[in-house]
Amino acid sequence: MPDDSLAEGVVARAEIAALAELFDRFEFTLDPLSREADEAESQFNDQIERLFESRVKPALPENSPVSLPVFRRHVCHLCREFLRKNRP
Amino acid sequence: MKSCLSFEEVLAVGEPRLAEMQHVGDTFADGESAEACAAFTQQVRNVEAAVLHSYAIAATVARKADSLEEVADVWKKMSAFCLSALAILAKLKDKYPHCGTTELYDRVLDYKLACDKRYQGALEEKQCLTIALPRGLLPELR
Repeated sequence: MPDDSLAEGVVARAEIAALAELFDRFEFTLDPLSREADEAESQFNDQIERLFESRVKPALPENSPVSLPVFRRHVCHLCREFLRKNRP
Repeated sequence: MKSCLSFEEVLAVGEPRLAEMQHVGDTFADGESAEACAAFTQQVRNVEAAVLHSYAIAATVARKADSLEEVADVWKKMSAFCLSALAILAKLKDKYPHCGTTELYDRVLDYKLACDKRYQGALEEKQCLTIALPRGLLPELR
């Protein structure tokens, strides 16, 4: 996958590429009732939560408005952009 | 020739299926007769195909959308299409209880909920983007 359109961050670009893969499998699934879509969403959410707790939260300034749901939506947005650029 | 259809036009292709189901549903006095059930079962299949096909196109359009507004708009329209089908099915599922009507009602309801979830998600995403993340937290798209 040509994912060199991402610069590194606290969250690595390879992690975003992997998350985008999962995001694609549930957000844009042709069958939203499929078990595959459910499983992909569940894995996506688990990984986001793990990232947030282990690396993002400790890197945030005190009283930051960035909560887990806000972080999750930012990642969703990055995944959308990533897919548009890399998986047209 | 390269032709483009808007998502609205795609949905318009499925709308006659809903009208036809309503029409056939109203045609028979007794929905439990074999003739009525055979005719209505065909309508159930047609509407199911229209909903599933339209949903698949909605997902494809949403994936290619340039903005969150466009994403939200696609899911809002697809949800409205499901709602139109549900309104007809709600009136006819008691009249045609053995023709797959209840099963289709439940399935279309699940599809509508899937559309609403994605619509709501796009709106929340837009709202959350107003809260900036510290620089360097996420990799940046070049």
